[in-house]
Amino acid sequence: MAHWLHRLGGRGRRLAAYAAGELPPAERSSVEIALAACPVCRREVEACRLASLALRKSSRVGLTAEEAAAFLPEVNRRIDHGQVRATRPARPDLREILWDHPRLGLASAFAAALMIVGLTLSQWGPFVTTPGNGVEVVSVDVDEDGSVMVFEAPGSTLKVIWVFENSSS
Amino acid sequence: MPGSEEPGADRALVERAARGDREAFGLLVRRHQDRVFNVAYQVVRNREDALDVAQDAFVKAFASLPSFKGEASFSTWTHRIVVNLAIDCLRRRRRAGPTEYDDRKAAPEEGEARLAAPDDPQSALETRQIRSILARGIEALPPLHRAVLILREVEGLSYEEIARAVGCSLGTVMSRLFHARRKLQKVMEPNLDDLR
Repeated sequence: MAHWLHRLGGRGRRLAAYAAGELPPAERSSVEIALAACPVCRREVEACRLASLALRKSSRVGLTAEEAAAFLPEVNRRIDHGQVRATRPARPDLREILWDHPRLGLASAFAAALMIVGLTLSQWGPFVTTPGNGVEVVSVDVDEDGSVMVFEAPGSTLKVIWVFENSSS
Repeated sequence: MPGSEEPGADRALVERAARGDREAFGLLVRRHQDRVFNVAYQVVRNREDALDVAQDAFVKAFASLPSFKGEASFSTWTHRIVVNLAIDCLRRRRRAGPTEYDDRKAAPEEGEARLAAPDDPQSALETRQIRSILARGIEALPPLHRAVLILREVEGLSYEEIARAVGCSLGTVMSRLFHARRKLQKVMEPNLDDLR
């Protein structure tokens, strides 16, 4: 029988928070009871803890004595030579944006599919009830709470609005 | 770790440095250079780039000191500067082409002053093995997720401090942290039996 942790939404989130010691006490004890009966969950928690422990205990990297001695003189040299870099910050690439907004990725894929279907149908006149060239994305609005996309068939007053709510906010 | 330093003493030095006192600024640099370098290194995973980023962070901090309001500690403020520069460096490097992670190159023994160094060979091997697996997981994370994870797990910042440092909401911090942890967990899980 599937354990309740598997049936509930946010199982991974709950286990990760438990492993990091960030769950409130009431929730922590219910997860502990559940863990006793779920070897898969226990393994996930163990992996989370190991990663966290390894990060905390073995990841600090310090300057060598040589680097430490040369550090301040180099900072001073850069200040004296006005070497504050004025380059524009690099923008995140598409992959990074989609990591942060997975729903936007889904929405974009859906919009692209919708446009392809619309354009294909528009080639076959008899099947199309509205004139024009398929479906257009009128607007895309993304913020931390989710995203809203508005589609429209040209020449029609019909608008389709998709709202994707971000479950993490 | 932020908070373990003396924020009161920092404040006095910051005030003096903001008035152009280079000696006071030098003391601030000496006090924070290891921490700033460590944060830069954890994000860019390359010693040379990390050193460059850390030094640039202090140059930028010096230039911005007159506008530093003191709402956050000097420590949190420099976190913000170094993290943004490190993310920037990583993005540029990624665009320039993939780089192969080399555990030996990336973490030379002499640079790891605070790294736990187990005495027995078996533990040393395991530590090295864990570090290597972990490094692969971290390498696969997008820059912002990497930065949030490092600020939380290595620097021990609170969610609020991380949100201030990377300039995003608490919800975004939680979400990025969750995805980063999940990714690392997936990298670690197949190796659990070997590491027991």
